Amino acid sequence: MPIEVSVDPDLCIGSGDCVRILPAGFRIDEAAGVSRPLLGVEEADPELLLRAARTCPTQSIRLVTADGRVLHDSN
Amino acid sequence: MSDDLLTTYTATITFDRYDEIRDALFDTNLSRSFDKRSYQAGNIRDGVVSISHGSVHRARRRVENTQFRPDVLRLYERDLFPQVMRDLFDVVIEGEEADLYAVGELVSVVLASRRAGIEYDPSSIDELRELVHAVDVFSQGSAILDAKDPDAVRDLVRATYESFERDFVRPAWERREALIERVERGDLSREDLPHDILTVLLLHRGDAQLELGDDGRVVREVATYLQGGTHTSGQTLVNAIDLIFSTESSIEATLARLTDDVGFAQRVVHETLRLRPTTPKIKRRAEADTSITGRLIPKDALVVLDAATANKDARYFGAAPERFDPDRTVADSVPRWGLSFGAGAHQCPGRSVAGGFPVPDDFEVGDEHVFGLVALMLQEVARRGVRPDPEHPPERDLRTERFTRWRRYPVRFTGARSVTAPA
Repeated sequence: MPIEVSVDPDLCIGSGDCVRILPAGFRIDEAAGVSRPLLGVEEADPELLLRAARTCPTQSIRLVTADGRVLHDSN
Repeated sequence: MSDDLLTTYTATITFDRYDEIRDALFDTNLSRSFDKRSYQAGNIRDGVVSISHGSVHRARRRVENTQFRPDVLRLYERDLFPQVMRDLFDVVIEGEEADLYAVGELVSVVLASRRAGIEYDPSSIDELRELVHAVDVFSQGSAILDAKDPDAVRDLVRATYESFERDFVRPAWERREALIERVERGDLSREDLPHDILTVLLLHRGDAQLELGDDGRVVREVATYLQGGTHTSGQTLVNAIDLIFSTESSIEATLARLTDDVGFAQRVVHETLRLRPTTPKIKRRAEADTSITGRLIPKDALVVLDAATANKDARYFGAAPERFDPDRTVADSVPRWGLSFGAGAHQCPGRSVAGGFPVPDDFEVGDEHVFGLVALMLQEVARRGVRPDPEHPPERDLRTERFTRWRRYPVRFTGARSVTAPA
């Protein structure tokens, strides 16, 4: 089941932890200094998505299932 | 909170469980802004990233984190550091006896300077020693809450900022400003600018969110990165060797394994950080009422996070958590270094420089993995046959309450100089 992934750009500090954990799912927008989810990230391994979200130092990543269940909320 | 120089804390609350501390480190109501006398209003830590809070902190980290991208880390670890390290070891280890802490700091300060944007004469070991002295002073300043004589530390840090700015920061600053002007005129590509903290601060100084209008803040920020990049590496190198020397298993066998296996060297570093955190007790102040795992924290409470105890939680680090065991099994979701690099927004930005990337629970890593500079230093001292010095016992740094800090660590090197390339 696809998972909606979003990154709050006001909270993100561009640590790059999400990119290290899931390089196919995130990239750093160097101009803004923040992480952006990539196309197709919704199909990524949910375990890795959760690890990326939990590891994020500012808890900027929000994960929501297709049926609206919040797997991980941003701060 | 009163406007007096010193904050009056409404309570002091201590946590020592891993999960509680992790929650606290992610709580945005807990800040690193403590008493104004030590940290604010023209004082020694005024405005540095590690004590800033909220939007200013995030804006600063966005800019500074650009210097810690994986490709930059790999460049340092694979191309720059090994040769610099071997050359310096040859110079600073004169004869068989040496102070391992001094050696570790001298080697670390070279790359920390480069990352911070400090320029010095590479042929002058005296300039490197001056920088190491500045790092020692700034380290006392950064740990002022645990200093035994904080007024003396404040005076010393202020005086050192003056000479540090004059001798090291200003020349680098002027050169970078000239380069940035060339970029603005179109005479130079932005890509050709130096890749360091001072350069990115100068490039983004006009951004009001960063609150870098005051020159002193830029100097202190650069000093913060120089200190952080040097001190933790030097202390961790010594603590790793001390743990190896103190553990019942054969020193020779452990050193041989270190030499042959950089993955093992990295796990030794992580295990050392877990047992000997550079900051054993992390402190925070409550900016507003909050709660941690159901416990109320009133506004202006001092919150003490006992990372050294939490790092020995058997639920996370397995049986005999107090034992030095670099091969212990730890779940992928838990950093092997525990809480020693912090967590949350203030997590150490240079953690991957010193400690590399996290190690998976099966120890298998790919080609992109970064092992960290302390692991490489550890391999180098192992190759050179480091042994305890039976005639000169090591000395802890008694100027601070932090039990993990050393002032001198005499050792003997029984191996060859100019050794083989790292594994």
